[in-house]
Amino acid sequence: MAESVPRRSHPRRKPISSWPIHAVLIVAAVIMVVPFVWQILSVFKTTSEVTRIPPTIIPADFSVHSFETFFSTVPFWSMFAVSTGSLVLRVVGQVTVAALAGYAFARMPFRGSNVLFGLFIAMLMVPSQLFLIGQYQLIRDLRLLDTLPALAIPGLFSAFGTFLMRQAFLNMPKDYEEAARLDGANPFQVFWHVMLPMARPMLAALTVLTGLYSWNDLLWPLIVSPSGENRPLPVGLAGLQGQFGTDYPTLMAGALVCSIPLVIVFLVLQRQFFAGIANSGLKG
Amino acid sequence: MKHKWTGAMAMAVAATLLTACSGGGTETGSAGGTGAAAEKVTLTYANWSEDQSPAMEQIAAEFQKENPNITVKVQTLPWPEYWSTLQVGAAGGTAPDAFWMLADHFREYAKGGALIDLSDTVKSGIDMSVYPKAVSDSYTYEGKIFALPKDFDTNGIWYNKALFDAAGVKYPDDTWDWQDVQDAAKKLTDPAKGVWGIAAPIDAQGGYYNTILQAGGTIINADGTASDFAGPAGVAGLKFWADLQKAGSSPTLKQLSDTEAVSMFENQKVAMYFSGAYWALRFYKNAELKGKVDVAPLPQGVKRATVTSGIGNAGYAGSKHPEELKKFLTFLGGTKAAEIQAATGTVLPAYKGTQQPWLDSMPEFKLQVFIDAIDYSVPLPVAGNTAEWQGLAAQYLAPAWDGTKPVEAAAKEYQDAVDQVLAKK
Amino acid sequence: MTNVAAKPARRPSGRRAGGNQTSVWWAVAFIAPATIGLVALYVWPFLSTLIKSFQDVPAFGPATFVGVDNYTALLSDGEVWEAFGNSALYTVIVLLGIPLAVVLAALIEQAGRGRTIYRVLFFLPVVTLPVAIGMVWRFIYNGDFGLLNYVLSWFGIDGQYWVADARFTIYAFAVVGIWMGLGINLIILGAGLQAIPKAVYEASALDGAGRIRQFFRITVPLLTPSIFFVTILTVIAALQMFDLIFIMLRSVNNTALGDSKTIVYLFYEKAFVQFDQGYGAAIAIVLLIAIMIATALQFRLQKSWVFYG
Repeated sequence: MAESVPRRSHPRRKPISSWPIHAVLIVAAVIMVVPFVWQILSVFKTTSEVTRIPPTIIPADFSVHSFETFFSTVPFWSMFAVSTGSLVLRVVGQVTVAALAGYAFARMPFRGSNVLFGLFIAMLMVPSQLFLIGQYQLIRDLRLLDTLPALAIPGLFSAFGTFLMRQAFLNMPKDYEEAARLDGANPFQVFWHVMLPMARPMLAALTVLTGLYSWNDLLWPLIVSPSGENRPLPVGLAGLQGQFGTDYPTLMAGALVCSIPLVIVFLVLQRQFFAGIANSGLKG
Repeated sequence: MKHKWTGAMAMAVAATLLTACSGGGTETGSAGGTGAAAEKVTLTYANWSEDQSPAMEQIAAEFQKENPNITVKVQTLPWPEYWSTLQVGAAGGTAPDAFWMLADHFREYAKGGALIDLSDTVKSGIDMSVYPKAVSDSYTYEGKIFALPKDFDTNGIWYNKALFDAAGVKYPDDTWDWQDVQDAAKKLTDPAKGVWGIAAPIDAQGGYYNTILQAGGTIINADGTASDFAGPAGVAGLKFWADLQKAGSSPTLKQLSDTEAVSMFENQKVAMYFSGAYWALRFYKNAELKGKVDVAPLPQGVKRATVTSGIGNAGYAGSKHPEELKKFLTFLGGTKAAEIQAATGTVLPAYKGTQQPWLDSMPEFKLQVFIDAIDYSVPLPVAGNTAEWQGLAAQYLAPAWDGTKPVEAAAKEYQDAVDQVLAKK
Repeated sequence: MTNVAAKPARRPSGRRAGGNQTSVWWAVAFIAPATIGLVALYVWPFLSTLIKSFQDVPAFGPATFVGVDNYTALLSDGEVWEAFGNSALYTVIVLLGIPLAVVLAALIEQAGRGRTIYRVLFFLPVVTLPVAIGMVWRFIYNGDFGLLNYVLSWFGIDGQYWVADARFTIYAFAVVGIWMGLGINLIILGAGLQAIPKAVYEASALDGAGRIRQFFRITVPLLTPSIFFVTILTVIAALQMFDLIFIMLRSVNNTALGDSKTIVYLFYEKAFVQFDQGYGAAIAIVLLIAIMIATALQFRLQKSWVFYG
């Protein structure tokens, strides 16, 4: 975004020092990426080739057997649909719920609202595994086990999301809000037409973070889907490990195929990802 | 073939129920009393093996053919999550209707009232003598039967003929004793090639339980109140494995943690692997092992012995369709289900007389070894919270395996830890 | 309060009272969905865990009240202490990733062209499934044919069984933890860097300060609010580490598992594998207390090092 600004403000320094900077960064970037490169190379090897000592770098005969094994074992597309469906539900739901509550906490204080907000913050610190049993019982009592909503429901309510949205609204100037109110808008109209659009950067942040959590979740889908229906990709991938033990080419192929959808989304929308996460870290 | 009457009985029951109700397949009326069978009912049936799930599907389809009112959904859960998922479901009232059970987990479920009691169903016409007693006994709790044996397994020596040939060692056979294993393992080991004679992990069922029994030991006393790992037989049985480690005839524990023993065997890094019949199909299907693998009986110690166990098909006490569930479990325990498992080579079915198709499905393996072993088999030891004290084994026995503690000392510490678990409740 | 007070009103008193009343109802309506969900799905499960921690809870059947038995048992349980030690060690090492992230963020900020490419590359682990990451690293760490030992052998260093030897597992996990978290930290810190006014640098450049000096005298102090935020997030996440150990060590015969458990893994094992939910709950409550103490400590300490300009 501000690519050209630093160059203009430090005209003398840029050319001298960019070499060592790039050298360090390139080394670091290579270290970051090596695991992925190794993964991709291994996908095309045979099982006996990956266990060879010392390892070979380039696959001997570029076998695609690992993909065949993966796709014939894991119902990839239906799991992909489940992952995507629950992600959409969770993101839309959480963003809506958190924006409403965050706005009220920021702009409509009432007696006890600070205590209530403290309760939200306290829940942030509790390890999430601790909620599992209680959440499971609720989903069961709502007769939602094995359904798509069951995957998304606990994620709809997020203390972290509420906290972020409150921060966003706290930072906004009051003028627009008051102007709208003088025009006779009710609080929901003010929120919806005036404030929410201004909170777009934080909404994007929350969308990105919630989406990541939803896509990655392993334990909850396992527990809430006892009949094995509506299972997302991480579950299929974890099952693969149990079944193929150390058939690393197949495991690596599975890991690759299941990760790629989100990587593509990230590459396309990287600006939004970065802006989103940067926003979540800005002080309120 | 000979014992067809269980299946026949199931069909008779099905026929009675079918004629008793009208058209079937409609959501008619109340679910009260005998009319319940008229409804379309869906049962779920959980397992943890992708390898076996095709056969389970086939069994479910066969059952549905006979019971058009009942749909069975087979679900396969990943092994590491199977028990936690099942436990949460059972405690929460939503477990699958039917599921696989193992002897070491069974007691907690039976004690907690999570399993449907099959005693009456058995009384009304299931002959328990068709199952290996060691297996059916392990699914009996306080005199009640809670699961029908699905399959069983005894142990043998899986070995890689190519590696034996390369080292010029004679294949294992029923004359082998402990010393033969130690000697062969040593000769087969070739560090330069990254090949070891045997895999010696800390494995109870395929490993040290067998050798403790072969040394004349008992593992757990008759009333399940104390263990015996530190007695002379216990120590000897553990020492068998520690010695293999000490001689360098096996990959180290660390190597076996990185790459499980079975994978080492499949990758042709180890020549011998003591384990059960359940690997047969996996080895058979592995193209790289074609023509290289066979199986021999476990070696003799003071006597011959192998532990045996088997998966049981159990039902959930909280099932909404107990009658249909019992019918399905009966079918699972019957000949037809056994025959499907045998013919597909899936596992060694528990039902007596149905094993021949299994042997025939993989003629290259001397699978008869596993059936012959029934004669000297001993049930897998279970007592108290078995899963808990078994889970302690790796921690307490590892120092004996890697030589940092005398076997006697490690055995004593493990015994004390197990006894402490057994003393609870 | 303020929104009402600021209102220019024709009939001040009447509108004020009515507006206040209405706005409370609006506030309640806005907050209700989040609060209902929070209470039903978080507060209540938390309370029931708290209650369970004072009970003996068999897998099935009724629980019995046992007072503080679980807690006293826990205090003398070596396994629990070891797990706490492991979690603490993991957290401390992962925190070392933060200085690394600060340096890298500063370098990326200076890199000009190619900034985006670096950010994308560093961010890739963040958008990869943790299960997939666990598998890939387990493969890389393999003591016999893993990539890491192979690379080390080029430098004449003897390899280790990184995830099969309890002496190394926690360090091995921590390296992955740093690797996974770097991308997010870089973005948050990068945003903090961009907020530092360029004029500050220009002034110090005129005073003849070099780059290194600027980094320590300007960049780091002005970045402390972002560093603090990243630290809080890192500590909370690190104390809850579970996925990696679950994916990399759970194979039945991994002899390193016994000495490598983290506190959340131990909770999972007690509550979901060993049928002992009461004891598991007590462990979770103790962990919660530890997290609260750690966070409170950080907020207290921040006064001495976080710079709010």
